Amino acid sequence: MDCSRSQAALSERMDGEHLSPRVTAALDQHLAGCSTCRAFEQRSYRLREQARFSVAPAVPDLVGPIMTAIERESQVRAPARTRMRVMRSMGERQLRRPLLRTLAPAVAALLVGAIAGSLLVGGPFPEPGGRSAIAAAAVTRGVASAASKLSAYQANFQITEYHFSTDVPVRELSMNVWFEAPERFRLDIADHTSYPSPGFTPTDLSLVVNGPTWYSSGPAPCQFSRCPQKQTVITHRVPFSSTTPAPTDLVLPVTTLADANQLTVLGLGTVLGRNAVEVQLPFERARALFPFLDLGGSWRPFFPNDRVVLWLDASSWFPLRWSVYPASGLERDQWALRFGLPEEPSKRAIFEVSALSVDERVPTPGTFTIPHVKTATDAGATVIDLADASKQTGFAPVIPGTVEGLDLYRVVLPPAEEQPKADETLITYSKGLSWLKVGETRSWSQDAFFGPVGFHAKQVPLSNGGIAYYEPASVDHGRRLSIHSAGIDLYVETNLSRDDLLGVAGSLPVRGIEIPESWRVRVAPGGVTERVSLAEAAAQLPFALLEPHHLPAGYGLASAELVRVQDRLGVNVYFQQSDADLGSGPIRFHAEAGQELPPASAASQSAVDVRGTQGRWTPDRGQLEWVEDGVYYSLDGPGLGLEDLLAVAGSMGPLDPVDRGGAPSPSAPAGAGS
Amino acid sequence: MHDPDPRILARAQAGDLSAFEDLVRTYQADVWRFSYSFTRDRALAEDVTQEAFIRAFRFIRTFRGDAKFGSWLFRITRNCAMDAIRARKGNDERAQRQPAPVGPSDPETRAELNAALAAVSEDHREPFLLVEVFGLSYQEAADVLNVRVGTIKSRMHRARQAMMSALVTEEDIGGL
Repeated sequence: MDCSRSQAALSERMDGEHLSPRVTAALDQHLAGCSTCRAFEQRSYRLREQARFSVAPAVPDLVGPIMTAIERESQVRAPARTRMRVMRSMGERQLRRPLLRTLAPAVAALLVGAIAGSLLVGGPFPEPGGRSAIAAAAVTRGVASAASKLSAYQANFQITEYHFSTDVPVRELSMNVWFEAPERFRLDIADHTSYPSPGFTPTDLSLVVNGPTWYSSGPAPCQFSRCPQKQTVITHRVPFSSTTPAPTDLVLPVTTLADANQLTVLGLGTVLGRNAVEVQLPFERARALFPFLDLGGSWRPFFPNDRVVLWLDASSWFPLRWSVYPASGLERDQWALRFGLPEEPSKRAIFEVSALSVDERVPTPGTFTIPHVKTATDAGATVIDLADASKQTGFAPVIPGTVEGLDLYRVVLPPAEEQPKADETLITYSKGLSWLKVGETRSWSQDAFFGPVGFHAKQVPLSNGGIAYYEPASVDHGRRLSIHSAGIDLYVETNLSRDDLLGVAGSLPVRGIEIPESWRVRVAPGGVTERVSLAEAAAQLPFALLEPHHLPAGYGLASAELVRVQDRLGVNVYFQQSDADLGSGPIRFHAEAGQELPPASAASQSAVDVRGTQGRWTPDRGQLEWVEDGVYYSLDGPGLGLEDLLAVAGSMGPLDPVDRGGAPSPSAPAGAGS
Repeated sequence: MHDPDPRILARAQAGDLSAFEDLVRTYQADVWRFSYSFTRDRALAEDVTQEAFIRAFRFIRTFRGDAKFGSWLFRITRNCAMDAIRARKGNDERAQRQPAPVGPSDPETRAELNAALAAVSEDHREPFLLVEVFGLSYQEAADVLNVRVGTIKSRMHRARQAMMSALVTEEDIGGL
């Protein structure tokens, strides 16, 4: 043992930490022969004596003032708010009314006629006369239809960030964005903050996408004040790659507004001299509007349910201004305590992005030039002519009968994960910001879906009589589905609507069939899972299986699996959203025989009443657990709140007859349970 | 720091103000001292103490015993102290007018120690105060500071070395 290790061990021992007998013996042996370490020990104890009797001055008695303040607090404290509310003064409402009369025809067409739709999809802004301004679904439709029409764009923005750190309460940055269809994009962020010392690293970032080449530069995210600069160049990238993406939601929020769930229209107004629509959605759903947070540098944290208030151009649907407001409630307060944030009133913005100019001019030549760097990474995609595909792969790729008006963009042979090179093709189509990918292979040998489709994908019928396995859009991927057939596997991915995707897939000259039995079983170190229908799960479980009869808006049954861990048998049931898993991911419902909750596994768990019994809520995981009639249940809904999951739990009941007996079996593709 | 009587804690969690008052009485000295170690300002430490107990009262129903109550309370106190310091920023003059800490020990020792404490980084000062002055275990200090136990171990060792080095310098200066 050397002196450094000896003094570290001494430090631990005098603080009451347990040392192993081996370390204790080695320490004592070292101390016997080392006067330096003996002196360290003596001085450490002297330091303790000084510290314990010197640092603390006389303590005042504060019980009286504290209890007076607490009594006052307990008297005025309002009941805990469980629902997010839009607070708006009467003055603001009255100011908004005349704006309705001055709207452009394009906006007027979207007005009150859409009331019925808005009631279904989540909340228009209620005008005093009881009329709706514009439906949330109309906003998402507007954005989706604008996507394919946009050919060029450039804009600059001002960013203000609050509570970056104790020393830097406010940061000012600027952001420039350029886009040219189909796949040229550039984002520059310049940090104009006056930092209190040169120890801070400004968050200056740059991202350039130019077809097959992708470039990024900026300080690497780090916990230290000086962060190393990082430059990355990727060549031969796959078109519309999810690993080297172009964050085009800054241009048009196609991903953010992929569906109307959790989207609330607040009103109409004018921003940058343009007629604009104001909408609100949770931060986690709006992450694609903040791509710079993941690009590099250091940024303040955001709570998943912080509110993003977004102003969209009512004609072009360009995002013009978006601000983040703190969510209110206990969970947010606890989260803020963990990050050491100051008190953040829910009406005061903590992050603001405002457009200073936006237009559709074509960016000047050279805008998308990739800076030179010494080393680049080759992503390995090879561009080919569609006509030559059969020469390269040995087969002529299948072509969809309809591609919803998109144009053929690039055909590539994607990089092979294994050698020899797999026979795989990727045909891509695009128009404006809309894109579509059709991947194909004739030699798929893995026991999993081909393409970026997960194990729990929902089985859906296609118009050609076949079936596919579907997953909604996520931050990383568009809506996609995988099709398995004899000797051919395909996937289709797009940022078009779900109906468009199903239409494209149904027009393929391939009839999808059930996945093989070997794909249904997964063996993990802890146990075995087997994808089954709900009816099959219910038949095998040693207890009566319940299912929820209420789900949050947009959710539906996706798949189920039996879980065998040693001699215990349980079930996982997955529910996914139909259009987009943004903000809140799939809900997983788990049940297995059990008499008590597992030991606590997180610091921020709390007891809650679930179905008349004491359950447990873990906000960090979005997990609700309880035990009922000898069965342990858990509901995992990352991004969902306690209220949402309690409503799901409260609706639990026996399986519907359709799920119990007529449940969609592997041979009945219309269902979702297999 | 010892744990509160579980019955008193349970009553306080149920909203019993007299039980909560017992907790205030038990922990107020430690909370004030901990606040003072951050603020170095008696009046501000009183404000922080009051705010910490108000926040604790607000959240006590959520305390499930996963960490020790004292660690949980110190964590709240630390955040309140950070807020208070942040709010005080820009008023350096006031900070400079602070009265010198008053304590029972001899002024020379106190001055030495204050100087040594000021010489170590905040990363090292916080665990040192929690472990040495308030007697928290490494795990409890880790809970307060939201870091791993291993981090506390290494920081304590380095804090001691830095404090000793600073004290040696002080002694050397004093001996000139």
